[in-house]
Amino acid sequence: MTRPEPRLALTGAGVRYAGRRRPALEGVDVDVRSGERVGVTGRSGAGKSTLALLAGGFIPRVVHARTCGVTSVGGLDVTKPLDPGALLGRVGIVFASPANQLSASKRTVREELAFGLENLAVPRQAMDTRIDGVLQQLGIGHLADREPLALSGGEQQRVAIAAIIAMGPTILVLDEPTSQLDPAGRRDVAALLDTLAAGGAAILCAEHDAGMLGGMERIMVLEQGRVVGTDRPGVALGRTVAGSVGLPSPSLVRLAEFAGVGGDSAFDEAAIAAGLSSASSAIRHGSLASRRQARTDDWRTPDRAGADSRPVPAGWTPVRDREGVEVEFDGIHYSYEGDIAAVRDASLRVVAGEAVAIIGQNGSGKTTLVKHVNGLLRPDAGEVRIDGRNIAADRIERLAATVGFVFQDPADQLFERSVEREVAFGPRSLGIDADLTAALVDQSLEVVGLGHERATNPYDLDLSLRRLVSLASVLAQDPAVLVLDEPTAGQDAEAVLLITSIIRAWCAGGRTAIAITHDMEFAALAFDRVVVMRDGSLVADGPPGQILSMAQAPLLASTGLTPPPTARVAAALGLETAPAGVDALLSILQSDT
Amino acid sequence: MDWLTICADGQSEPCIPAIQAAYLIGLVLVAALFALIARRSRDLSTATLALIPVAIAINLAVGSIVVALRLPIYLDSIGTILVGALAGPWAGALTGLLSNLLWSFLPIPGGSGPVAAFFAPVAAVIGLMAGFWAWQGVFRIRADDGRIGGFLAVATGIGAALLALIVVQATIGYGFSDGDTDSQDRFVVVTAVIVAIGIVSGLVSGRTIYRLDGRPGDARRYLVVAATVAAAALVFAGIRLLFGPTGYFFTIDGSDPDGDGPLGPLFGGADLSGLAIADPVGLWLALGGAVVVGALAFAWARRGDNARFFPVWVAGITTALVAVAIAVPIAAGVFGGITGGGTDPVVAILRALGLDVIQAVLVQSLLSDPLDKVISFSVVFVILGALPVTVRTMYSRGETTVPD
Amino acid sequence: MSATTGYYIPGDSWLHARHPLTKLLGVGFILLAAFLLPPIFLAPIATGLLVLALTAGLLAATVRALRIPAVLLASIVAINAVLYPGASDPWLALGPFTLTGEGLTFGLVSAGRLLTVFLAAILFLFTTLADDLMEALVARGVSHRIAFVVLSAVQLVPRMQVRAGAILEAQQARGLSVRGSPARRLRALVPLIGPVVLGSLVDVRERTFALEARGFGAGSHRTAYRLVIDPPIDRWLRWGLGAASTAVVVGALLGVGR
Repeated sequence: MTRPEPRLALTGAGVRYAGRRRPALEGVDVDVRSGERVGVTGRSGAGKSTLALLAGGFIPRVVHARTCGVTSVGGLDVTKPLDPGALLGRVGIVFASPANQLSASKRTVREELAFGLENLAVPRQAMDTRIDGVLQQLGIGHLADREPLALSGGEQQRVAIAAIIAMGPTILVLDEPTSQLDPAGRRDVAALLDTLAAGGAAILCAEHDAGMLGGMERIMVLEQGRVVGTDRPGVALGRTVAGSVGLPSPSLVRLAEFAGVGGDSAFDEAAIAAGLSSASSAIRHGSLASRRQARTDDWRTPDRAGADSRPVPAGWTPVRDREGVEVEFDGIHYSYEGDIAAVRDASLRVVAGEAVAIIGQNGSGKTTLVKHVNGLLRPDAGEVRIDGRNIAADRIERLAATVGFVFQDPADQLFERSVEREVAFGPRSLGIDADLTAALVDQSLEVVGLGHERATNPYDLDLSLRRLVSLASVLAQDPAVLVLDEPTAGQDAEAVLLITSIIRAWCAGGRTAIAITHDMEFAALAFDRVVVMRDGSLVADGPPGQILSMAQAPLLASTGLTPPPTARVAAALGLETAPAGVDALLSILQSDT
Repeated sequence: MDWLTICADGQSEPCIPAIQAAYLIGLVLVAALFALIARRSRDLSTATLALIPVAIAINLAVGSIVVALRLPIYLDSIGTILVGALAGPWAGALTGLLSNLLWSFLPIPGGSGPVAAFFAPVAAVIGLMAGFWAWQGVFRIRADDGRIGGFLAVATGIGAALLALIVVQATIGYGFSDGDTDSQDRFVVVTAVIVAIGIVSGLVSGRTIYRLDGRPGDARRYLVVAATVAAAALVFAGIRLLFGPTGYFFTIDGSDPDGDGPLGPLFGGADLSGLAIADPVGLWLALGGAVVVGALAFAWARRGDNARFFPVWVAGITTALVAVAIAVPIAAGVFGGITGGGTDPVVAILRALGLDVIQAVLVQSLLSDPLDKVISFSVVFVILGALPVTVRTMYSRGETTVPD
Repeated sequence: MSATTGYYIPGDSWLHARHPLTKLLGVGFILLAAFLLPPIFLAPIATGLLVLALTAGLLAATVRALRIPAVLLASIVAINAVLYPGASDPWLALGPFTLTGEGLTFGLVSAGRLLTVFLAAILFLFTTLADDLMEALVARGVSHRIAFVVLSAVQLVPRMQVRAGAILEAQQARGLSVRGSPARRLRALVPLIGPVVLGSLVDVRERTFALEARGFGAGSHRTAYRLVIDPPIDRWLRWGLGAASTAVVVGALLGVGR
């Protein structure tokens, strides 16, 4: 059988936005065939989104930019003027933020799917057949009569993809479709893409989630608008391609490389475990000593072979002396108006210098619980004590001097015209004097690696960088307790390591950090203690090695979570506790004599 | 067609009752405005169409923030002004219109019930005005910018008119007596001359001294002085015209209960002549008020880029005046002057002083609307300054109406 | 009932079954009648509307909804009754307040007009889904772009209210004080309104892309998915309402019942 013709073919494609010196994309060659999923990864600003806009036919039709090379989408050259109707029948594009993908003008999912058909003037009689076909094909028939804006993020994103597919394209371009979803939503979207590919669609997907990328046929790594390499996931994400420009490799790929398992098995945990056990016997015999040396770096400094990598910021060092505090939740009950209890009888004590991760699926009460720390919510029963004192009577803006709260959506906080002014807003509101404010702003921007973006408008940065601005603006408040709501959502591996190092250094200075997270690897790496929530109650509490091990997999599964990949490999190797990360696993193997 | 005449008092021949005629004309005007807005909306870009619903939601959300801050203003047109600035007057008008309709037709907690819908034409006109002023560049003028010449010329005009007013008062007086046609004629002529002096000096100064391109230092200095003079002049003129010994309140002595004299319509039969303060106390009062306000304006305008707000405020005040002109007939004709909001007590007090339905609403609107619009325009101005490049470049007018 | 259906009450009464434009025309007719006919007609019209509500099984809901304009209507009557300068028939004087017949009449007429229009509007809102109304208007030549703007705003308004609350919390968590002197509260405006506006504007960029991806800007040809039922009797009703409205306008021009 001959290979199918490429549906999407870019040859020497380049894009340059008006007023920019450097092209956003240069000399990109890629082809995506029917039934194939091609992932695109790279740092923010590497050109992933531009590539998606180009391949989706948005450049230059909707977003104005100069193009070169040939971008052939189902046989149409999108860089030439063309009929939008013809294009929309060939290629569809889906973006990151679920709620913004929907027309927000339709009452049911079924009508939402019809929105595109209406605009393409599809006859009314043909609409229902097409809509039913898509709903059935993508397995979301149960959502048909729900209200689109009331769906969860993962459901909304699947509806958005279905709405595009209903318009009939055989090529689908996605720009970080899962970066704003929880693990369950991510799994659902991944399964949906599998279905589409099996049905013959050609899929190009910009992404940085290792789990998503691992399931694709090929991965293209971009750096500064140029292709570094295109290969099978295990190779492209490994040392030779992604590593060559300083991108950290996903845990499984690192382990696979260490174990000497080939590119095709890089995401196969059993194969990796098998490889590792033979490798670890090799370690014991000393034959792999040199390789181990190269791979067991400190977690603070990921592998940086590339010349262009960002400077590694130092962790947080206290600017002013302040005592750590102890936070105590005592029998907290809370229910939203006219709703069932969101948090019931939650008691938790966090001592100074401790880093605690709170995990659990969406709706398990994590955010509701932490909003009690700084008085955003007041308990229906029970009390919150900081250093033994009940905070029930303290106003939010007073508590802000003690508790810094990083919200999940940076758009809830950012309003200034420059990053520097934004970060200075918190300390100024708290009445911290000008010299100290300047020092705090400097250090906050330094540690999140945005020292060179001081004058930039926060909203001109990527969402992932905006989240770092939001983090910096709270660090600059210099609180004793740092509360983070999903700090690694939508961040690439490099930023996750950066946030890990900040939390580690933060707590080393005697301060406290409490974070809500869905990222199990991050929870294992950055925190001393992991608390599991389910249906508003705390169901487990302990060190990450114990909570995030395979032994606890049933408990985690009951709240929609799975142990991190390293834990699964460790379990396959017969280890009882989960290692904090790849390096911890490797050092266990090394000492395992 | 002899029946097609507005009824006079007690007329019995076929004629159109005045109030019905007013309602009909109002309905026709509103229908025409709506049709025009709907017509112009056909050419809006996808980016603008995506923006308008968000701006409507912003209008309503900001309303609830203001309630949370317990401020005595509405700020219900931030989104409308924003769209006017970014996407042009007609998009702004559509935003304002739909905002007010939805405000009534959606069950919003603390919403305004049926009131907002009737004021939809006012909101639409605010959008139009915002678009017009943005096009005039009020949102992108810098304190050290040559483009401020026009605004300085206006300020100079006001200053010159004030000077003329003082000279007139000191020489021939500003006298006006009811029933004396000579004094009424003189009043009209003197007023016209004063206005003419203002306009001519504004025009002349705009052509000559305020060509400030490439002279940023001068531009800033002039702007500060203009803000000071304009503030002082407005306060002085306001106090003199209202409280002067022969000022407005002097003529309101209760002798005109029907309010159909030339100056009557505002206060009807109330006796407010006690508010006319005799000279020299009245003069000192006016001077004192002017100096204090002028000094405050000067101190404020000198700080940082504050002088940039001066043109924005001109836009806000003029928009408010146009809005008042449309809102007052609606409030009086549809609601009997009472709109169920926080301003009702003010209206009640004014009516207890003897003002009739229209007068009370007019005075109340003139007290609250300019302040509200000045704050709205200022907030939009500050926010536009923080607008990211990616958003600004999406709108046709973004590049030309928004600060760099 | 979800937040985005507004006042709509699901049902299958005869009023629900009317075509949206028939009902819209009905509201228009009531508006004209309330303001152009002599005030003596107000009571019969309002009673008629309540009877309509009764036959559609919406009387209880309509009466409950009256609390929305209650304060407004009461203030209009009360303030006009006791504060109406220029009235020539004082009944009772108390300090600055004088109860006058003219004032009371004026207040009652103003409130009566509003009440009548309110009843018509609330019956319309109870029985008409915005989606159906907009689809019906588009079928009659209104731009589908305006329909999109309206429907999208209907869905976004409740979400933005929630977001405003979140921003209020988030900025207080950064030490912003929303209490204190008016000047201080005024200074809190930009930190609170800024994120509302800027965050939404950044979303607008993505929403624009999403709309383009769904062919919204593709062309003027469009078909409709939502079917709005237009029973034959509605055509006659609309003709009737059109004729009645014309009669009211002509009557007003002729000064009937003055």
